[in-house]
Amino acid sequence: MSEPARSTDAVLEVRGLEKHFGGLYALSGLDMEVRPGEIVSVIGPNGAGKSTLFNVITGIYEPDAGDIRYENVSIVGLRPHQVVKLGIARTFQNVRLFANMTILENAMVGQHCRSKGGVFGSIIRTPGIRAEEERIRERAKEALSFFGKRLSGYRLEQPAFSLSYANRRRLEMARALATDPKLLLLDEPTAGMNPRETLELRDHIVRMRDELGLTVIVIEHDMRVVKGVSDRVIACDYGQKIAEGTYDEVAHDERVVEAYLGTKATT
Amino acid sequence: MARRWIRIGVPAGIVTIFLALVGLIGGFTDVYLIGDQISFAALMMILPPFVAGLVAAAPRVEGGERLEKRIPEAAVTAAIAGAAAGATFALAVVLADWIGDERIRAVFINVTPQLMEFVTFGRATMVGALAVIAVSALAGLLGGVLRVAPASIRRPVTVAVIATLLFGFLQRVIPIALDQLSLERDWLYSPQFDGLTWIGAIVVAAVAAGISFLSTRFGTRLRGSVARIGGSGGPAISPVRLLAGAIALGLLIVAPLLLGSVISEVLGTVMVFALLGIGLNIVVGYAGLLDLGYVFFFALGAYSLALLTGATLNAFGIPPEPAISGSLNFYVAIPIVMVIAAASGLLVGAPVLRLRGDYLALVTLGLGEMVTVLVGSPWLVPLVGGPSGMRGITDAAIGGFGFRDPQRFYYLALAFVGLAAFMSWRLAASRIGRAWTAMREDEQTADAMGISTTRFKLLAFAIGGAIGSLGGALFAVKIGSLTPASFQVIVSIQVLGLVILGGMGSIPGVIVGALVLVGLPGLLREFEEYRFLAYGAAVVAIMVLRPQGLVPNVRRSRELQDEEQAQDEWAKAVEEGETPPDIASATGATT
Repeated sequence: MSEPARSTDAVLEVRGLEKHFGGLYALSGLDMEVRPGEIVSVIGPNGAGKSTLFNVITGIYEPDAGDIRYENVSIVGLRPHQVVKLGIARTFQNVRLFANMTILENAMVGQHCRSKGGVFGSIIRTPGIRAEEERIRERAKEALSFFGKRLSGYRLEQPAFSLSYANRRRLEMARALATDPKLLLLDEPTAGMNPRETLELRDHIVRMRDELGLTVIVIEHDMRVVKGVSDRVIACDYGQKIAEGTYDEVAHDERVVEAYLGTKATT
Repeated sequence: MARRWIRIGVPAGIVTIFLALVGLIGGFTDVYLIGDQISFAALMMILPPFVAGLVAAAPRVEGGERLEKRIPEAAVTAAIAGAAAGATFALAVVLADWIGDERIRAVFINVTPQLMEFVTFGRATMVGALAVIAVSALAGLLGGVLRVAPASIRRPVTVAVIATLLFGFLQRVIPIALDQLSLERDWLYSPQFDGLTWIGAIVVAAVAAGISFLSTRFGTRLRGSVARIGGSGGPAISPVRLLAGAIALGLLIVAPLLLGSVISEVLGTVMVFALLGIGLNIVVGYAGLLDLGYVFFFALGAYSLALLTGATLNAFGIPPEPAISGSLNFYVAIPIVMVIAAASGLLVGAPVLRLRGDYLALVTLGLGEMVTVLVGSPWLVPLVGGPSGMRGITDAAIGGFGFRDPQRFYYLALAFVGLAAFMSWRLAASRIGRAWTAMREDEQTADAMGISTTRFKLLAFAIGGAIGSLGGALFAVKIGSLTPASFQVIVSIQVLGLVILGGMGSIPGVIVGALVLVGLPGLLREFEEYRFLAYGAAVVAIMVLRPQGLVPNVRRSRELQDEEQAQDEWAKAVEEGETPPDIASATGATT
């Protein structure tokens, strides 16, 4: 593992991030960097602050201290929809689709921030609006086709609630892809999937980097996935980074083992 | 299980007692729907046991499985439930007779001798009570059999019964139209009893059943072919719906010509409320924001139009001209009114944006109440005339052609309804409508997917407000004078009621809701005092029985009823390795 690059080439740079909920320190001074085209896995036991990290990056929570720089600009204090517009998209740990919208509509919502049709244009349906609507539709279909036939064809017009669990997760990722992101945050993408689906998704994450050129941060508990996709692994506990490096380095780090399995009995 | 009939029958009997006590039976013994046998009072007596029968025959759900009842079992259960309802009511009748109806009358003024005679069929009390039980059991039996009958029979029969009753209710509307068309009417409506003749009733029922039968039969086939042609360009509209829509539109256009000015007057009010409904539908149905203060925009539209176009103050002792009064033409003023309303929508919306659900409802309720207080306050007397209001409002004339006349007003209002419906429809199908739907489904996720929820909530408030103000402006033109009494909080509730009744998110639903909730009570004057009872009952019934509304928005209907069915069908098809059917068309057949 080479030295972390200078801050200027990092896509995302997190410095001294803190977030408290009452007396609970979900994040206490977390530092991390993500370079373009990297897949970084964030691991750690439950309650380590991983999801809070995502929520703070995407603007759902405002940090109590610290800075988040995306492409060298601080994004602290931006609202979630502004963060998406800059190119950071995410999925949720508990799948959150628009259940009664169709699969295509779900993906089309992703394109919302890349379009700008207004009230009067939409009522009159100007040629510009029609073209934009068509573009949104095509882009959404393209995002859905990332998962092969699973989300396309006849399924496009079906409501999202009719999908199987694994397909819901895929649709959530497709919706995030439809926002044309540069940085994608995946929160436990394989949770609840069976082993075969998990392996398939592992390949998809790699494809996101290789084919779409995305930078991906993934929170994951399944170590086979972590091992299979990660360029780098960051381990957290108690809202702090406790280890960083390749999968093998982190997996054998004493502090990581301790965080997962507890301390050795002191002699 | 054995006590099921008590659980269903007794409440139904109590409903009958309630209907009798509020006067819906005793006061309507001579309002005939069909011949001189089926009066409204009789309907009120038969309906509760009939519904009890329907419910009693419903399939049981055990361990997640629906157990359909066989016809004999259903018939017996339903008859017993009906009899239980009848027995409950009969008991009350006997009790009333024993106490003496003149003593009860001191408290329940509707317990008239006429009522007592009617409910005992003019016989001795005991004989009458037994007759009540027998008739109720029969009604329950019919309900039960209808419930378990195959859909191919159930649907035409239901449609036939509802159509016949509707024709019976419209006994003061349809004959006028027939006269206007110089068609023979005596075979359909009895000149003696006002209601339908038996021959007329049979003809109406047969025609309705026939139409229902044909539309189910050929509707599905047509729908299939359209779904194939339509491809993936959005949800396909079924041709049956399209045809029904075209007929309805045709009727809306010719209605005032056929029905004369008295009924056109009512229809004009219906159109004003439809306009309000279309506006509120954007806020409640599309964006999912519960606004109970919509009267605010209604009042704003009416008063700002009056001030912009000029009006005379009614208040005593001050000069007969408002302090600030324009003399703009109606059509110049309308866009200004809408802009004012949209801006006010932003003002009203901004402070309440962070609130959700119940809290939003409460705050908007308060804001709505403020407007009544404000326009009636002494402080604003010089401007809007305070409690005594204003008169002399423009009749929206185009080159001397005024629209105060009910028939002409109706067309003016219809044009605005068409315009608002068009705007609303286009918005719903756009990027903006998608953002609203996403926001309604899950606000936080919508935000995280790039939708500025603040912006789109404000937009919903502003556009909904602008359309609502149109309703207010037209209302001012219609009656030509304004007083704060027209802008009570009940207007908000009425509009919300018709949006819910019609089916949130559905534009045709809003118009049907307005016709039912505003039109019917306006046409049936003797029911005027039961208007709010009917509102309450209708809203509760809709929420329990058909939460997707009378004419549901396609998405909502999936959401609220057909969800599981559709999912099962889909899952089954996948299991069998077929191409799963298009869910929209599969559920369309049941809506």
